[in-house]
Amino acid sequence: MLFSSLLIGLREGLEAALVVSILVAFLVRTDRRSALRWVWPGIAAAVVLSVGVGAVLTFTTAQLSFEQQELLGGSLSIVAVGFVTAMIFWMRKASKSIAAELRGKMDHALAIGPLAVLLLSFLAVGREGLETAVFFYAAVQSAQGGTTEPLIGFAVGIAIAIALAYGLYRGAIRFNLGKFFTVTGVLLVFVAAGVLGYGLHDLQEAGFLPGLHALAFDASAAIPETSWYGALLKGIFNYSQQTTVLQAIAWVAYVAIVLPLFLRRPAAKTTPVVAGTKE
Amino acid sequence: MTLRKTPLVVAGSAALLALSACSGGDQKAAAGGPITVEATDTACTVSATTANAGNLSFEVTNKGTKVTEFYLYAQGDRIMGEVENIAPGLTRKLTIEVPDAGTYQTACKPGMSGDGIRGTFTVTGGASRQADTNTQLADATKSYATYVASQSDALLTETQKFADAVKSGNVADAKARYAPTRTYYERIEPVAEKFGELDPAIDVREADLEEGQQFTGFHRLEKDLWATGLQPDSGQIADKLVADVTTLVNQAKTIQLSALDLANGAKGLLDEVATGKITGEEETFSHTDLWDFQANLDGSKAAIQSLRPVLQERDPQLVSEVDTQVKNVQTLLDAQRSGDGFKYYTELTQDQIRQFASAVDALGEPLSKVAEVVAQ
Ligand SMILES: [Cu+2]
Repeated sequence: MLFSSLLIGLREGLEAALVVSILVAFLVRTDRRSALRWVWPGIAAAVVLSVGVGAVLTFTTAQLSFEQQELLGGSLSIVAVGFVTAMIFWMRKASKSIAAELRGKMDHALAIGPLAVLLLSFLAVGREGLETAVFFYAAVQSAQGGTTEPLIGFAVGIAIAIALAYGLYRGAIRFNLGKFFTVTGVLLVFVAAGVLGYGLHDLQEAGFLPGLHALAFDASAAIPETSWYGALLKGIFNYSQQTTVLQAIAWVAYVAIVLPLFLRRPAAKTTPVVAGTKE
Repeated sequence: MTLRKTPLVVAGSAALLALSACSGGDQKAAAGGPITVEATDTACTVSATTANAGNLSFEVTNKGTKVTEFYLYAQGDRIMGEVENIAPGLTRKLTIEVPDAGTYQTACKPGMSGDGIRGTFTVTGGASRQADTNTQLADATKSYATYVASQSDALLTETQKFADAVKSGNVADAKARYAPTRTYYERIEPVAEKFGELDPAIDVREADLEEGQQFTGFHRLEKDLWATGLQPDSGQIADKLVADVTTLVNQAKTIQLSALDLANGAKGLLDEVATGKITGEEETFSHTDLWDFQANLDGSKAAIQSLRPVLQERDPQLVSEVDTQVKNVQTLLDAQRSGDGFKYYTELTQDQIRQFASAVDALGEPLSKVAEVVAQ
């Protein structure tokens, strides 16, 4: 009872914290600490919005229609993919400047508005927040009815997620810069591919896109989402135990296009750039 | 990662699944109160299996050991609403707008996978959906516009082939193409009639010619093919027909129809049958009136089909009346089929014609009320 709530909290927390921790690590590593002050308002706004909407949904019978919910969730995810993709290439651009040791040009390469940083943190957290808030309210309500286990489990799960994300952040800032860019960049590519797949799946559920019942695979027996490893996979990569063909195609296409683009130019200092090599 | 995370449901095997696992009486939901659902790892107990259309409220409690989900499905496993990630011990509320009466299915999914433990859920009555009315009407015209577009594309292609046959002097081929080509026109004639001069140019009958009006279009070629033999200007008439049809098709695709147009069109097509086809006046020379008859009926059905969701909501009685009468007419028509087409009008007995006439009248009756219902 406690454990399954813990897994939900872990998963929801990871989904939200992963992108934020990489963003923060990136800003810290590239001496852009000044931009950090835009991260926190983004997160705060997302939390406030989620809690507010979650409360309204829980305490009133007012409700979006199912299609509207899915449309909202699906579109937010796809917008978020756009932002995370931009972040990936923003980081790549920064790594180029570093590899060329053109530190003077760093600021230019990183010329991205505070608004973008704010929006990115808002989206990363907000996408998860609504769902999490509704869940949290349900847990609080049942605690009033005498069962605190789900609430405890849920809180522990979120705490573990934040700890993991912090660990990732610490690890990330200990990497040498080149490795940091490569590792987090590749990680983000897979994260974004997962978000894209899930966004499309939401739109399929709402009936805006066809093919909800056309499954590419069903791994609910081998890697159930309710297991700890399934929850981890889902939290990090948006693994889905039952994946539609459209979802799978989008995932593969995204990775096949974005990953080579990201790796095209060696991001790590350890990879020598041969003079005269054509780009 | 998104607002909703849901494992998929594989359609089809639903029926096989444990209806037995779902107990729950046949009683209606207490007015206003939520329907409670008790979900365990092996059962999905719904407190009521019947409810009135409108906003339904479910309160799902997970008394099992696995995380669960609750769904309400419409026919074909269309998701009406869902609540997921219900951890053991938790209660989650789900409010769903179910405007249409019908048979639905509830499902609990312990472990959030598979088709779930299903139960039948019946919704009765019908709630008015004022806000959706405009959407429904817009959907109706959109769906009918698609139909018109598909028919006019085929009309143009087939008219071109028919005209080519006439121009090459291949009378047998032209005759064979005549009736099938016209069916595309007859299906969308109410749309054609919106364009003042085009309909007469394409479809005028010799008997209806007005003073100084040139006899062109399908029926002029019909006369050439069956009565007088091809004339020196038959080729020109064929070219003009193609030109007129092209203009019509281009305009038909851009025309903005209202739902009332659809309703009146459905009735108009039936009137066409009554005044022209039943009497054998339409195809004086070729006697292929039954092809037109069928096409008029098809067009009428298509318009009604597009309006069906609106009609079903406002006057289900009328819909079933229309359906019954359409079926009667169709049965009579089917009895006169011959090869790919139909018997010639001249082969019909007086009795059969009378039967057709009364069946068409009987269908015209409910059809004439459709516009009124749409205009409500
Ligand atoms: Cu999520």
